[in-house]
Amino acid sequence: MTFSPDQLAEVRRLQRLYPDRRGALLPVLHMAQETFGHISLEAEAYVAGLFELSAAHVHEVVTFYTLFFQQPKGRHVVAVCRNLSCHLAGAPEILAHVKARLGIDPGETTEDGRITFQSVECLCACEAAPMAQVDDRYEVNLTPEKVDRILEALR
Amino acid sequence: MAERVLMRNFERPNCHTLAVYREHGGYAAWDKARQIEPAALVEEVKHSNLRGLGGAGFPTGAKWSFIPKSHTGPVYLVVNADEGEPGTFKDRYLLEKDPHALIEGMLIAARAIRAALGFVYVRGEYVQPWRRFSAAVQEAYEAGLLGAGFDIVVHRGAGAYICGEETGLISSLEGKKGWPKVKPPFPAIKGAFAQPTIVNNVETLACVPPIISRGAAWFAGLGTKTQGGTRMYSVSGRVKKPAVYETSVSITLRQLIELAGGVSHSGRLKAVVPGGGSAPILTADEIDVVMDVDGLKAAGSMIGSAGVIVLDESASIPEALMVLARFYAHESCGQCTPCRESTGWIYKMVHRLVDGHGRKDDLDTIIDVAKRGAGTTICAFYDGAVGPYISYIQKFRSEFEALCRS
Amino acid sequence: MPKLTIDGKEIEVEAGTNLIEAARRLGIEVPHYCYHPGLSIAGQCRLCMVDIEKAPRPTIACNTQATDGMVVHTQTDRVKETRRSMMEFHLINHPLDCPVCDQAGECWLQIYYMKHGLYDPRMTDEKVHKPKAVPLGSHVMLDAERCILCSRCVRFCDEITGTGELGIFNRGDHSEIGLFPGQDLENNYSGNVVDICPVGALTDRDFRFQVRVWYLDSTKSVCPGCARGCNIDVHVNRKRPHHAGGRRVARLKPRFNAAVNAWWICDVGRYGFDAVDDVTRVALPQRRADGQLADIDWSEALAAVADALRRLTPDEIAILASAQQSNEDLFAIKRLCEQRGIRQVAFRSPAAPATADDDFLLRADRNPNTRGAELIGLDGDAAGVLSAARAGRIKLLWVFEHDLLGAGWPADTAQALERVETLVWSGANHNATTARAHHVLPLAAWVERDGTFTNFLGRVQRFRATVEPLGEALAGWDVVGRVLTAQGVPATGTRAEHWFRELTKSVVAFAGLTYQAIGDGGAMVSGAAATTAPLPPGRRAGAKATA
Repeated sequence: MTFSPDQLAEVRRLQRLYPDRRGALLPVLHMAQETFGHISLEAEAYVAGLFELSAAHVHEVVTFYTLFFQQPKGRHVVAVCRNLSCHLAGAPEILAHVKARLGIDPGETTEDGRITFQSVECLCACEAAPMAQVDDRYEVNLTPEKVDRILEALR
Repeated sequence: MAERVLMRNFERPNCHTLAVYREHGGYAAWDKARQIEPAALVEEVKHSNLRGLGGAGFPTGAKWSFIPKSHTGPVYLVVNADEGEPGTFKDRYLLEKDPHALIEGMLIAARAIRAALGFVYVRGEYVQPWRRFSAAVQEAYEAGLLGAGFDIVVHRGAGAYICGEETGLISSLEGKKGWPKVKPPFPAIKGAFAQPTIVNNVETLACVPPIISRGAAWFAGLGTKTQGGTRMYSVSGRVKKPAVYETSVSITLRQLIELAGGVSHSGRLKAVVPGGGSAPILTADEIDVVMDVDGLKAAGSMIGSAGVIVLDESASIPEALMVLARFYAHESCGQCTPCRESTGWIYKMVHRLVDGHGRKDDLDTIIDVAKRGAGTTICAFYDGAVGPYISYIQKFRSEFEALCRS
Repeated sequence: MPKLTIDGKEIEVEAGTNLIEAARRLGIEVPHYCYHPGLSIAGQCRLCMVDIEKAPRPTIACNTQATDGMVVHTQTDRVKETRRSMMEFHLINHPLDCPVCDQAGECWLQIYYMKHGLYDPRMTDEKVHKPKAVPLGSHVMLDAERCILCSRCVRFCDEITGTGELGIFNRGDHSEIGLFPGQDLENNYSGNVVDICPVGALTDRDFRFQVRVWYLDSTKSVCPGCARGCNIDVHVNRKRPHHAGGRRVARLKPRFNAAVNAWWICDVGRYGFDAVDDVTRVALPQRRADGQLADIDWSEALAAVADALRRLTPDEIAILASAQQSNEDLFAIKRLCEQRGIRQVAFRSPAAPATADDDFLLRADRNPNTRGAELIGLDGDAAGVLSAARAGRIKLLWVFEHDLLGAGWPADTAQALERVETLVWSGANHNATTARAHHVLPLAAWVERDGTFTNFLGRVQRFRATVEPLGEALAGWDVVGRVLTAQGVPATGTRAEHWFRELTKSVVAFAGLTYQAIGDGGAMVSGAAATTAPLPPGRRAGAKATA
């Protein structure tokens, strides 16, 4: 489990952007997650080597941030917001609906590896509540019907 | 009140591109600023009465002037695009719709504080805004606006509300956990990578080009005596037209709710969160407050990030507190003891209350614990939690007591 | 130098002194957890709050430097109430493990709760659960529930050892101290994290469940594990001999000395006291008869040795002293050599040690008194002694402590010993050599007697008796002194200090030193420059693990 030569060149380029190369740790961890699917302990140790950091300090960073997955995730991530404006707009019902449709609780992944379901804190799209982040995009003004269409389209 | 300063470009097709931005006066302020001495730029921003629009409301010009004059090493400009305060979404609009306004604001600010390097920390969940903004940075480099004395590094976060706290952001930028730093030293003295650093909110910097183009006095005149300009109010919750609204900071909360179409659902107002999730709640009787920094402070609350969440009569205040208590427990970074231990405990108590297993003692315990922790922590995150903990229970006590068994 | 006032008392301190240290100088205790003078400031526990005039709220003392004219109050009602609040915050999720926790009796949650807490607990919800009894390497046990997340251990591994094994994972009240999964805490200073952990989160595996700390007595001493001479406290269990498997020495703890070891001690030294209460300890004088070693009494043993010495010419006698011995022991041997004209005396084993310096405190030389032995003038030629023995020229060889059949000695030493008529061995623990000796004289271990060692930089340091010698064991200077007395030499004295006094009159390097001058921090031999403890690896440029 290593980066390609091009990726390593990118790591070095990123490290040079920061006054202390450790600043590139988050971008490189994003890269690792995109490349390897999630950030395993092996990946953490590998990245630690690229920064001459102890593996424990990389593990600290990975366990601190919610966007880093330490276990394999589904091909798609559906993260439904549960904070105040979304709650007022019916987030609990949306969450229950997704749970019923997928048969899993927030934090779990469907058995076929298709979708990881999460309930998350404010995504700052409150004007279009209730909403969710599906992979890289925001899906807003959710209704049960809209949720069904979105889930259907996720292969 | 209707003048659009920050949102002036939003309706234009391709408003996010350099060509369209330039077409409508973009980067003219930067051209003007390049002829002005850094110290004079700082003075101009001071006179505009611009106050930080990310949450703390600190006078921006004053903040810029804290960089030690004797410092000969690097100075960094850091932009806080880690928008995360519940009820707030204005920076997302700026990043997507007018990224060049932020870049122009950064260029001017960098000149004022003598920074050659700027970092823009974009929350990890904001993928589209990050792509939009990065593309604008690329355009600016190609046009020679950047790379000629000022560079911008765009840095994605990875999911942690605490990275919106300026020194938590700095720690994250440095490749660590988003743990806020013990102060002193303050960032202007020793910030990112141990150098003097100014951290400004996206919207705050977007105000800077208009201030330079049209003058501090003009900007100051748009607002109130102690805060200049307009700002973008994020209005959501039980209103008919949730959206971002730009108005003078002299607007009252009542007027703002009307602008947003009035109360939805039951149509009757119960309460308003006026300044993002961390702001003490206001009752329906308290909405004639002026929505500037000092107006809300006088009313016992805060304008914060200007995230306005409206609750109607049918909304449950205990549930609202539970949602926020869960948020604070989840987002506590864990570094210092009062916050780490009590945010989790208080959430358990509120959850138990909402589930019907609470006691009246619990209400007093929550308030007492919150008061004991307020002002004792490394950063203001806990004080932000204390806002809801105390105000929701104090102002709506009977609703909580109705849920208690004893 | 700023002059400030704390609780009405004025004090002048060096610029850069924080308020915890300034208060300490006035005898005022500011309670704290995360602050440690040897580590960077964390400001996390929030317990050290004090009131400073002109500050609107209580401020943490650890991160506040004394300034001229500052007025500090540590006993206001507001400060007291804040401390009580902080104690409550610390105890919200803390498990009620006291009955099974080794830290009880020296636990800073207990101590500060009794002093600054004393509130009625009101946390009735389920506490956060975390891993318990997790071994972190061979010496340290972690209980993550007990941890108050002060981060001292993390900072220690970053800033002192530079190895960065420990981190704080996750966030909020699920934050947890731990190792990178799969790694171990195996640096040579791992035991120090147990010392600096204020609570029972990190405890010593060697000490686990052995004896309650309130039964222990403490004596200041010096580690005999290498030539550095780190300052220590020896904790002995005299009151409950049926605990700790009968071990008298329960544990060693480092003692602060800015000139030698700062706050730290290596694991080799910390856990190197097993020999003291080991079954191999020699308890009684022994004499070989019919091929077996039989116990005898001291008068018979000493008479036999003195007699053998009298009968032989000086060239037929050789002595192998040891750098394990004290200055007092070695000086007595020097006296004996002078009195009898013995010239064949040495102390170094001929082969180079198989050990190396580590990058911080541990020296390759695992003897505490090599410098002392050199200065006292016992640095002869051990190889020469062995070849003389092999050639049959040595009739009496008196060996102190060494195992001549062990590492560091040539393979043919056994043959050399065969040709020695009388092999006298004196030491604390039996080894392969004692099995060949004609006389075995039991010596008191380092915890059983007073004395001084001279470290590699020339610092003379006292070690102190804390338990009675096992069986009939005597100090080395006492045995040699009695042999001298048996030869008609007037007695030097009955205490180690008497021998030290004689040493200072005789050996120029030690001139002018006294036990009192040596005190608890040691004193330099003449010609040796004053020292400071070495910079830890984690503080040197380029250290990789700093968080």
